[in-house]
Amino acid sequence: MDINTVRTGGVLVIKAEGRIDGSNSADFLGSIQAVIDDDDTGVVLDFGGIDYISSAGLRVILLLAKELRGTNTGFGICSLSSAVQEIFSISGFDQIITVSDTEEQAVKSLQ
Amino acid sequence: MTFPAPPPQPEMVRGPNTTGPYKILVVDDEPDLQPLILQRMRRPIRNGQYRFVFAQNGIEALRTLASEPDIDLVVSDINMPQMDGLTLLEQIPSVNPNIRSIIISAYGDMQNIRTAMNRGAFDFVTKPLDFKDLRHTIDRTLRNLVEWREALASRDQLVMLQNELDLASKIQLSILPTEFPTHELYQVHAHMEPARNVGGDFYDVIMLERDHIGVAVADVSDKGVPASLFMMSSRTLLKGTAIGGYGPGQLLADVNDLLYADNETTMFVTIFYAVYSPVTGEMNYANGGHNPPLIIHSDGSSDFLPQIGGVALGIADGLTYRQSSIFLQPGDTALLYTDGVTEAMNADSEEFGTDRLQAIFRERPPRSAQETNDLVFEAVHAFAGDVAQSDDITCLAISRAQK
Repeated sequence: MDINTVRTGGVLVIKAEGRIDGSNSADFLGSIQAVIDDDDTGVVLDFGGIDYISSAGLRVILLLAKELRGTNTGFGICSLSSAVQEIFSISGFDQIITVSDTEEQAVKSLQ
Repeated sequence: MTFPAPPPQPEMVRGPNTTGPYKILVVDDEPDLQPLILQRMRRPIRNGQYRFVFAQNGIEALRTLASEPDIDLVVSDINMPQMDGLTLLEQIPSVNPNIRSIIISAYGDMQNIRTAMNRGAFDFVTKPLDFKDLRHTIDRTLRNLVEWREALASRDQLVMLQNELDLASKIQLSILPTEFPTHELYQVHAHMEPARNVGGDFYDVIMLERDHIGVAVADVSDKGVPASLFMMSSRTLLKGTAIGGYGPGQLLADVNDLLYADNETTMFVTIFYAVYSPVTGEMNYANGGHNPPLIIHSDGSSDFLPQIGGVALGIADGLTYRQSSIFLQPGDTALLYTDGVTEAMNADSEEFGTDRLQAIFRERPPRSAQETNDLVFEAVHAFAGDVAQSDDITCLAISRAQK
C-alpha cells in the first residue's frame, strides 16, 4: 500500500488511499512503522483517500495507538470519508481515537 | 453437544531418521567387496554412523528392501547376474520410494551412468573403488536424504495443521446452538455460515429468568485459531455474565473489562446483546460497536435501530455501555446480523449493502424468524454468485407473534 508523508512542525502526517482490509493491513502497518521517527512528536493519519476500512484495518489503528502511547507520541486521524466515519462511529473507535475534521485541526491538536 | 470425529491423521513417512545410524544396502556380485567395505568403513561403523547389509544381485536386493524397510541408502553395482543394477533402480521406488541410490560403474562408462541417473540414482562412484570418495558420496547423499525427510515431515505437519484448523472450525460451529426455544409468544432462529478460514462470528440464545431470553450476535476482528479462541472466550464470558441477570449495558461493561484484562493481542469483538421480554415485547439492548439490527414490520417495511454508541469490546477498560429499549409490535422481527451480510461482494466488487437487505423484506414480508434468515442467506448467495465468501455470515432473528 502506498503512503505519502509530510512533516509539519514535528508532526508526521501520513496520507493513504484506497481500502484497508485483511489483504493489506499488515503492509499498511509495516509501512507506517517504517516512516515514524523518534523525533516525531505526533502522528496523524489523513484518511481523506480511504473509502473502506475492515476490522483488520481497525486493529492496525489500535496497534498504532498503543505503540504511540508507549512512546508518548500523540496520535490522531482526520478527514474521514462518510463511509469510514460510519465504521468508526458504529465500532465506537471515534470514542477511543481522536478524530478531526481536517488535517490542520489534527496537526494543531498535537503540536 | 456432539463433536465431529477427528480428521484422519496424514500418513507419516517413516519417522524421519535424521541422526543415524544409517542403514546402507550394498549390492554387488563380487564376494570380495563385503569384507573390504566392512574393513574400510570400520570407523563410521564403530561410531554408529553406518550399518551395512549386503545382497548379491538385484532380486536379492529387492527382497532385502522389502523385509528391511529401515534401509536408507542403496549402493549398487551395474553388472550383476539375474537382475542388474539398472533394472534394480527402476524397481526400488515401488518397494521404498524414500530412499536414495548410488551406482557403482566402470570408469568412463558414461552411457550406463547417464541411464542410472535418469532412472533416479542420486550419484555414482567408479571402479576401482576409492573408499574415501565412496564415503564422501555416501555422506553427501545421506545429507540430501535427511533434508528431504525433513521437508516431508514439515509438509505432513502442514497437513495436520490444516486438519486442526478444519477441526477448530467444526468445533466453533458445533458450540453454537442449532435448536431454539419454541414459545407461543415469539420465535427465535439463528444461523451462521463460516468463511473458509476459521473465523470469529458467533451468536447465542440464552434462557433467562422469568421467561426472558437473551440474544447476541458478535464478530471478532480477525480470523484463524487465535481469533477462534478469542471468540470462544468472548462467548463463554457473555453467557456466564448473562446468566447473572445483569442488564445488557452492565453486561457488556463487565464482559469488556474481563476481555481487556487478558487481551495481549489487540483483538476485539463487536457484540450486540438484547434481553427480550415475551409478554410485553420489550427488547432491552446495548451495543458494543456492532452494526445496528434491523426491525422488520409485518408489512415488510423496516428500520434500523438507532445507534446508541458503545465501543467494541476488548479495546479499553472501564468503558460504559448505554442501554436502550424498544417494543416489538405483534408481527415485528428483529434481525441481528454481522457485516458478512452487508459486505458480501458480487463479481463487480459491489457490496450487498443495507438497501438490498431492506429490499428483501419489502418484496416479501417474512412470516417467521427462520424465514427471515432463509431470505437473507438466499439473497446474499444469489448476489455473490461464484465470488468466494470472505467473511463469516451470521443472522439471528427474533419475532413477536401476530396477535
